[in-house]
Amino acid sequence: MLRSDQIMATVEMIQKENLDVRTVTMGINLLDCRRDSVKDTCDKVEKKIAEKASMFVETCNKVSMKYGVPVVNKRISVTPASFVGAGFRRNDFVALAKSLDRAAETAEVDILGGFSAQVEKGLTDTDKEFIASIPRALEETERLCASINVGSSQKGINMDAVAMMGKTIKELSERTADNGGFGAAKFVVFCNQPGDNPFMAGAIHGVEEAEVVLNVGVSGPGVIARSLEKTIKKRGRKNLKLDDIAEEIKQITFRVTRCGELIGRQVSQELGVEFGVIDLSLAPTPKVGDSVGEILQILGVDEVGAPGSTAILALLNDAVKKGGIFASKAVGGLSGAFIPVMEDAVLAEAVGKGALTLEKLEAMTCVCSVGLDMVPIPGDVDAATISAIIADEMALGMINQKTTAARLIPVPGKTVGEMVSFGGLFGASPIMQVLNVGKSERFISWGGRIPAPIHSFKN
Amino acid sequence: MKKQLVISVMSKDRPGIVADITGTILDLNGDLADLNQSVLGGYFTMILIAEFDDSITPEDVIAKFSHIESETRIEANIKELTIPLETLKNELPKETFVVTGQGENRKGLVKIMGDFFNERNINILDLVTTLDRKLYTMIFQVDLSCIDSVADLRDELASIAEQEQLDLVLQHNDIFRATHEIGTPFDQDMRE
Repeated sequence: MLRSDQIMATVEMIQKENLDVRTVTMGINLLDCRRDSVKDTCDKVEKKIAEKASMFVETCNKVSMKYGVPVVNKRISVTPASFVGAGFRRNDFVALAKSLDRAAETAEVDILGGFSAQVEKGLTDTDKEFIASIPRALEETERLCASINVGSSQKGINMDAVAMMGKTIKELSERTADNGGFGAAKFVVFCNQPGDNPFMAGAIHGVEEAEVVLNVGVSGPGVIARSLEKTIKKRGRKNLKLDDIAEEIKQITFRVTRCGELIGRQVSQELGVEFGVIDLSLAPTPKVGDSVGEILQILGVDEVGAPGSTAILALLNDAVKKGGIFASKAVGGLSGAFIPVMEDAVLAEAVGKGALTLEKLEAMTCVCSVGLDMVPIPGDVDAATISAIIADEMALGMINQKTTAARLIPVPGKTVGEMVSFGGLFGASPIMQVLNVGKSERFISWGGRIPAPIHSFKN
Repeated sequence: MKKQLVISVMSKDRPGIVADITGTILDLNGDLADLNQSVLGGYFTMILIAEFDDSITPEDVIAKFSHIESETRIEANIKELTIPLETLKNELPKETFVVTGQGENRKGLVKIMGDFFNERNINILDLVTTLDRKLYTMIFQVDLSCIDSVADLRDELASIAEQEQLDLVLQHNDIFRATHEIGTPFDQDMRE
């Protein structure tokens, strides 16, 4: 029996509140693509991706049309390239990067992730060559994203790798200086990187995954923001407490997650591909009204970064998980609110006003995913300072047994407060201030490892 | 021998009306099968299927209903069911969609949509409409099994929406099941 109020509530959610499926990401195993020569390996990689993803975008569009729910991004993630190209030298990895880029173009996806390595405990000779290839690989490709996992709660933090990350990011930014250091926006450093995250730039097809898997990232924060505004208006601010707000977020997340899983499972069924996970992350876009920062404002801070921001984010993140986990059969990936500065117009605005500082942002990443994401910093910040910021962020993830990441973008020739814009989904923001630049060199030059933390006595 | 009667009843709504109607059927030794009831504008309406002994005629049932005391007379329509009930109990078709339409109230809105569906041989499975001040809302549950291209239908709906100043939205029924029900429609699809 049709219940008109419920039907209209859902129609409103889809039409007016812009419910969409943020991303459907096809993970493809490439471990069986290794051949005797670099060229043959690259050819096989291109061929396999073309074969597995041939109907991917078309099927997503077809299902999206049938259900009337847009699938905004179609992406591909692959087995970390350092495993696929074990024994390759740096130039070989650049060739592999170009093959992956071509494969993405052929499959008509805008981004392919998995130019990656996992070095949380130690660096193999291949890993070192791979990391050395990253600046050129990302400079010379368009659709490729790279990531390195440098730490985990089980293995600790590989500080040799962290030291290399600062230099890699600097080089990436300098090689793409004409474009504001955009290369660094395609590179992310992780602690506890999941193998089933559908969101870029950090998506990989983990070695623990099946041959081909579809992972789905659900809708953005706009739906939650609009729904909260409506509830506050309807019930009156005086009649609501924070637990009512949390309940509202849970319910809307339940619906959003259900829509995402319905679409994802339909695509996977039509393609004959295993369905992986729903990632419950709230991923903002630079579009007005699609911001996590805006939710924090609706819930009571006048500027993002003001005291209370961390507590609100904790409530939001937890409520999203509670609603989503009950809705879905399989939740995974990052599953938390993202606070990527450049990609979230309200966060970027707070940076411009001096309300949101790097230190507060770091504190906020303790209670959500995914970390210091899309943070533009002055171009003259040295590599050791960048590595030290990364080390701090990795330590948060390692100790709290959660995923954290850093996507820092030193913008060549620009300094604090100046604007940088990459356009499209990558957004724009004033450059953030980094305090205490040049004061961490001695720490980073130690190298070695920060040992894995104790897994008891958790106070 | 038994017979199945389809009975539709309408009367002014009041407490006890369900008890009176079902009590009458029981008095005639009838056995209730499916039943649907609704109240609109203070009027109660019910459609039901019940099994009776072969000797009971529709006239007997109507005569018995006339003894029920109510503010308005109980109006009943009765037909004998010729198709076995079980064959009527199909699940919703796989391609069940929901079309919602909203616009400023005026005469003929449901007719516009009824014609639109009729021209395309689309069967309406369920329909609810409401008037809230000046806003008229229509919700059609329709079977699109006969439609080749949902994309084309969306275009056609968009053009009639513009022409008739209506806000028309087409969504698959599974979206509503997924967002309103605890169980998931995709589990059912997988089992099939």
